[in-house]
Amino acid sequence: MKEKAAEEIVLEIKDKSELMVDLAYSSVLYDNKTIAEEVYELENLVDNLYRTLQKKSLEDVKKGVHSIDDTLTLLRIAHAGEQIADAAQEIADVELRDVELHPILKMSIRESDIVFTRVQVSPQSILCGKTLGQLKLASETGMMVIAMRHRDRWLYGPNKNTKIGPDDVLFAKGPEDGEKHLIELARGTSQEI
Amino acid sequence: MKKRKSIFGKLQRTPKWKKEEFTEIEYEPTTVKELLTEMKDISELIIDLAYSAVLLDNDEIAEEVKYLEVRMDKLNYDIRMISMMAARTKEDAEQLAGILQIAEAAESISNAAGDIANLLALKEKTRPILPKLLSKADEKIFRIKVLEKSKACNQKIGDLKIESETGMRIIAIRRENYWIYNPQSGTSIKADDWLIIRGTDAGYEEIYKFLTGELKVL
Repeated sequence: MKEKAAEEIVLEIKDKSELMVDLAYSSVLYDNKTIAEEVYELENLVDNLYRTLQKKSLEDVKKGVHSIDDTLTLLRIAHAGEQIADAAQEIADVELRDVELHPILKMSIRESDIVFTRVQVSPQSILCGKTLGQLKLASETGMMVIAMRHRDRWLYGPNKNTKIGPDDVLFAKGPEDGEKHLIELARGTSQEI
Repeated sequence: MKKRKSIFGKLQRTPKWKKEEFTEIEYEPTTVKELLTEMKDISELIIDLAYSAVLLDNDEIAEEVKYLEVRMDKLNYDIRMISMMAARTKEDAEQLAGILQIAEAAESISNAAGDIANLLALKEKTRPILPKLLSKADEKIFRIKVLEKSKACNQKIGDLKIESETGMRIIAIRRENYWIYNPQSGTSIKADDWLIIRGTDAGYEEIYKFLTGELKVL
């Protein structure tokens, strides 16, 4: 059990740090302070995970669950993830400052290979009432939902059991041609996934 | 230590990243926007490449990570120079400070990716634990060989719409002895290419069938 735990923590740091980079870039693109604040929250979480991991790995070595080499590798990967998380926070920090964002920032993020998009789900959309797992949005449209807003509630890094409802706002990333498809699906102008 | 000695006194090929490191920095009139777009793209690509290098135990991908890391240093230097020349007022300076902070963050990401790729160079036998670990992540990295009978052969990535149809992102292509990193929509896929792809299990199954000829259309 213990040995699994250390690896699970490393994975969580990896997944969370990548989500944070996505969220940080989209907070700047949409000038959205709520998303930027979430990046801060996640940074705290990653910090805590990293600290827990450091302790756990030392215990693991002492108990002989993991070799020193394996533990070092885990710690190094986690350390890199933690640095990525810090960098994401730096990006979000720009959004949270009381300075108007330079227009170039939006343009640069917009023009890059991977685009971020924000769309509200219309009640007529076929996405309503289905879970992300049922819809397979990522493999069907190429767009990965990184965050969503349900009324006043935010959900970051939704999983396959997350249900989409009418009027939810989706934040997603993916290729340009996938963006169009997702927007049509959410607006209800396209019924085909 | 033995390995090191064997290169003494012999002619060495300069790795790409070394060449980049030793190029003199000249002022090139690019725009801040172009620089920042490239930096953002690299910051996303380099993480995937770093994990791929470790996962596939591949020194060549690790070398590309090293190259991108050095490239990022240069871009970061350029963007600082250009931003300083662009600032005329206090408001300019405030806004440009935000841009530089994001550029700096993109550079930190590339350094972290470099650290991941450097795990390959370690003497310790640390590798087996990593593939096991990374196979449990949300999005995984896969390697697929394109078979001659696949409909993907000689088609452009953009025309096939691989990413929007399957959600799988092609990180790199290995063709004979060459590599294509971050292939663009105009890049063609050829028979016998090895593709390094990132995405979910469901997307992998679909693209695997397509690239091995079992599935005719995506």
